[in-house]
Amino acid sequence: MHVVFQFDAVLWVPADFFVRRTVFNGNQMILALPFRMLLTILFLNSGGLWPGDLWLNNAVCGAEQTESLEYFERQVRPLLNAHCQECHSSTTGQDNGALILDTVAGIATGGTRGRLVHPEDVDRSLLLRAVRYADTDLQMPPKGKLADADLEILEKWVRDGAVLPEYKEAPRPATHAIDFRKGREFWSFQPLRSVDVPSADTEWCTSVVDNFILHQMKQNGLYPSPEADAATLLRRLSFDVTGLPPSVDELNAFLSNAAWEQAVDRLLSSPQMGERWARIWLDLARYTDFTPEWQSPTDRGWIYRDWVVKSINDNVPYDQFVKLQLAADLLPDTAPEDLAALGFLGLSPTYWKELRLAPSVIEQIVADEWDERIDAVSRTFLGLTVSCARCHDHKFDPVSTEDYYALAGVFASTQLDERPLLPAPEAQKVRDARARVQTLEAELKVLKEKKSEDAQRVEQEIAGIRANTPGFDTPFAHVLREASIYVKADGDELTKLEYEEARPRDLPVFRRGNPANAGDIVARRFLTVFQQDAPAVFQDGSGRRELAEAMLNQSGGLLARVIVNRIWEQHFGSGLVRTPSDFGLQGDRPTHPDLLEYLSYQLVEHGWDLRWLHRTILLSAAYRQSSAWREDGFAADPDNRLLWRMNRRRLDIEMWRDATLAVTGQLDLRPGGPSRPIDDPENVRRTLYVTVAREELHPVLRMHDFPEASAHSPRREPTTTPLQQLFVLNSAWMEKQAAALSNRIRELENDHSRIEMCYLLMFSRSPSQQEYDLAQKFLNQTTAGEPHAGAPAVAGDPAVESVSDQSAASTAARDVRWKLYLQSLLGLNEFHFVD
Amino acid sequence: MSHAEQLSGMFLSRRAMIERMGGGLGSLGLLAAMPSESFAGMVAPHVPAKAKRVIHLFMNGGPFQGDLFDPKPMLQKFAGQRPAEADLRTERKTAGLLPSPFRFRQYGESGVPVSELLPLTAGCIDDICVLRSTYTDNPNHGPALLMMNNGTILPTRPSMGSWMSYGLGTENQDLPAYIVLCPGKPVRFSILWTSAFLPGSHQGTYINHREIAAEKLIPFLRNMSTSRTQQADQVALMGELNRLQLQRSGPDGQLEGRLQAMETAFRMQFTATEAFDLQQETRTTRENYGEGHFANGCLLARRLSERGVRFVQVYYGDGQPWDTHSNHHDAVRNLCKDIDRPVAALLTDLRERGLLDETLVLWGGEFGRTPTSENGNGRDHNHYGFTTWMAGGGIRGGMTYGETDDFGFRAVQDRVHIHDLHATILHQLGLNHEQLTFRYAGRDFRLTDVAGRVIQEILS
Repeated sequence: MHVVFQFDAVLWVPADFFVRRTVFNGNQMILALPFRMLLTILFLNSGGLWPGDLWLNNAVCGAEQTESLEYFERQVRPLLNAHCQECHSSTTGQDNGALILDTVAGIATGGTRGRLVHPEDVDRSLLLRAVRYADTDLQMPPKGKLADADLEILEKWVRDGAVLPEYKEAPRPATHAIDFRKGREFWSFQPLRSVDVPSADTEWCTSVVDNFILHQMKQNGLYPSPEADAATLLRRLSFDVTGLPPSVDELNAFLSNAAWEQAVDRLLSSPQMGERWARIWLDLARYTDFTPEWQSPTDRGWIYRDWVVKSINDNVPYDQFVKLQLAADLLPDTAPEDLAALGFLGLSPTYWKELRLAPSVIEQIVADEWDERIDAVSRTFLGLTVSCARCHDHKFDPVSTEDYYALAGVFASTQLDERPLLPAPEAQKVRDARARVQTLEAELKVLKEKKSEDAQRVEQEIAGIRANTPGFDTPFAHVLREASIYVKADGDELTKLEYEEARPRDLPVFRRGNPANAGDIVARRFLTVFQQDAPAVFQDGSGRRELAEAMLNQSGGLLARVIVNRIWEQHFGSGLVRTPSDFGLQGDRPTHPDLLEYLSYQLVEHGWDLRWLHRTILLSAAYRQSSAWREDGFAADPDNRLLWRMNRRRLDIEMWRDATLAVTGQLDLRPGGPSRPIDDPENVRRTLYVTVAREELHPVLRMHDFPEASAHSPRREPTTTPLQQLFVLNSAWMEKQAAALSNRIRELENDHSRIEMCYLLMFSRSPSQQEYDLAQKFLNQTTAGEPHAGAPAVAGDPAVESVSDQSAASTAARDVRWKLYLQSLLGLNEFHFVD
Repeated sequence: MSHAEQLSGMFLSRRAMIERMGGGLGSLGLLAAMPSESFAGMVAPHVPAKAKRVIHLFMNGGPFQGDLFDPKPMLQKFAGQRPAEADLRTERKTAGLLPSPFRFRQYGESGVPVSELLPLTAGCIDDICVLRSTYTDNPNHGPALLMMNNGTILPTRPSMGSWMSYGLGTENQDLPAYIVLCPGKPVRFSILWTSAFLPGSHQGTYINHREIAAEKLIPFLRNMSTSRTQQADQVALMGELNRLQLQRSGPDGQLEGRLQAMETAFRMQFTATEAFDLQQETRTTRENYGEGHFANGCLLARRLSERGVRFVQVYYGDGQPWDTHSNHHDAVRNLCKDIDRPVAALLTDLRERGLLDETLVLWGGEFGRTPTSENGNGRDHNHYGFTTWMAGGGIRGGMTYGETDDFGFRAVQDRVHIHDLHATILHQLGLNHEQLTFRYAGRDFRLTDVAGRVIQEILS
């Protein structure tokens, strides 16, 4: 039982003790109780809940002290608990100014802004400033100012000397520390292991992939779907490998020999394969053709794009593919043309830095750029969301803020650059020559304005330099250079960026992601979770080469699993792991863990040979299943996670546009080089070569789910919207395609053969009788207002099949109907999906 | 329920259904009925919605609060001086205090003071809640535009309109849920209405309404060579052939969805054209709104809101017209002349049609301007404190909230960060800003990042 005594504030005191109150020194309170008795009270009343030691400081102990102490426990601590603990507890405080208010030690130490109280200058106390809302930048609690009575309690406590119980200087609570040992046990972080192939029904299995798939289907009472028909299979394989439909010749050849393995090998060695698969990589790499206006804008992203295409066509081993993109400039014996690989980072987004703003603002923006690079690298290669550890340790995965800033240091020591892809000495000569010419051109402009005779001399000098510098016009690719960036004040008003060549920079941890709130410096190194011993510090320049090597050597298993899954996802329409860029704790778990493990292990065994992986998958019976719906399959596994059938897939914009151009006979297959806009009417090249602008994605690309080029995009998210269908119905491009197709089939014998050809080109099959009848009905229909409609031979006679005896006017009318018909075919679901 | 809907309801997996919806939560009832599986961002509205939609009148460039809604007599007293409180760093160097020459008067029953520059808007002050203590993080246009529109200075996050579309879906299948009207291009352009990592269908549909012709407003809305009847034939043929394929393939939500989208697209050509046709308004209405791009924008905003468009943004103009670094006083006179009549007409029109209660109108720039002078007669950007206002949609009218300092430079009392503004708007739409999330790149993202407070004090 407790009794309430009313004084300046409410006091809770156990009733079984006699307590006498007096006023002393104005409003300080004294409890006239023997010291040891009070201590007993505190203990009894604590219920063992008070953290920290309660032994009072002997040096200043006394009744006055005791009373203040009690005041703290009765008044102040409950208040802090009620209003502050949500963000400033032992578990949450580290993230919030490192201020911990549920332990005495924490209250005594304060946070990153310093001590909480200044008893000698009460009003300067951070605590009071915050709760009084005196400082516009620090107002606590953020949800609303405390009641006046509460403010008075805190003020009084501080005025009275902010007395606290004694506490032991304890290390910061370790509740937050990541248990890396435990972290390593997570499935995706473990080293690759060899798995046994389950024995299975050999009649169905044609690739080792099938043993795994069938095994798991059987475990769940499912069975595979029958093989799709040959035409469907070839159409599927063609789109899948090259992004293009099979030609009619290819179709006929396959229908006659049904040689699957031969077809797989033919398509895998087609130069069109690199064009289809490069785009998948470019989504991850947030590829753009243009860099923004505030740099010196360039349109030379294509050099990197073409390098990706070529690497895929050359079947560059994946480990090499990774290393070149991160550190081609730092590897021994890199061929000059392979420096283009650096475009992965060389084309990174940059954010506008207004140098009229304070350095603290600009530092944040620079840190945002590092963050984007960490995000792109970690998600693309590792399937890890390392960026989540920017402000606090990763909430789910074993990635600490130290890990994050250890990587950020690598990017702080790396700058974007441009250079011609020539051997270093020549490249330097070209750079110097270009710089000189730029200066001369500026001079020339002035001279010409002045109509000076010297103009001719300068012109000649420019011509001379151009003529005498081999490779002068070689386009500059987006690459990287070894230099560190520093943000510094430039006088009182401005900010400047300084670069230091070849002097790598280790960063401090930015607490809560705030560059103004720097913690300990972290040496550049790879993630702790992948290193059994103390993490190895990078020694060589920025550390990009060591980063790439660490990724392959220390987290090679994860790298392999991530790329295997990405390739699987493209072939089957969904991954074994459905979060292709998150293999962490929050990510999906593999549907077929052993299969993923087997393929990943074997990929590394095969020297990271991606062609081997494609082939192994494509030769499977699982891949050749029909996509037809099955009631039992749907009931058991509606999302088809166990692959009891093939997934039906919507063509992405690239495949759909390319297929349309191919079918209408217009596709220009010349590879590589600068991009052209998608709305350029003359542009009939593959969609890979359509301009992608990070600043402003073209509406046609956007409406067809093309990803923003501003950040890593793990996978396309297909949407179905009426805007896409307006494009089909109304765009001039679609009408043009219909006209082109109409021309392509015009010379064929009759309507029947024309319709037949359209179906073969578009759907790799012949029309059914019903489809043929519908076509005839449509072609023979006339509509009021149609140009040249109502020709007597056609009107009212839908059965007419031959056009040979019609008048010129009715031929024109038929022509219109044909175009309308072909446009409709191009808009059909069947043309937009692959079975 | 049509046959088609039954079919998709039966055979779409949850994932396919979400994809079909464009990833949105538009059809919560339908989704809620499906077997539960984790779907990031899937949150039912938490609070009863007061507003169904939002109109944002965006004064791009940043108006000066002290001219319009936040009178500061102390500016006269300290004219030309630069007291310590006014010695704040902004984008450019500014000199001493520059008083506003415009007079204020109390209006309405509430007596909230409004400048002589906005006499008609002042007549609606009893519907308006003036937020005098808005502030943002960065005095540079790009980052401030992004903060106002996307809740972050990073150009990689979804805009508030796409969050609304994602959270609430659309009320009208024939129109986009989120429409941006601008007679030209605002600085930073499409990033301000991006859906970023949200599904692309939540992207704002940008419309340059310099010319009001529906076919120019929505891409590929009109076909110039095919007649409506010819197209009806095409749509019918595609429907028949697509259904034949559907019969062969067995039930498939994706195929069914695309088939329906084609039919919607066909109808949309006519409904959308009608929505953008200002000729259908009476002469009186047209006169009430007045002339000019902004007047047309406001009138279009009403027509679109009326038809269920969730979020309409009306940018005042091309580039950043309110960015008055020099000749500020003359410029602001003209700018106010342009907006006063349309703003008043919009509020009155919404009220008369019974739409104001469910339509939240937000007015303001990406930041304010300095009370100190730049170039002698201009004003620089000011992110420390500025005025925005809201009306309708369950917001209390006839009040001011928060205060700036004596010179109108820095918000000092009841400060309202842009995150708070966003939290409040979402709240009025029935969305809890802490729970409207989307899982991307390993974590849940929000419009309000890790901040934001619903300004309860201004809710009616």
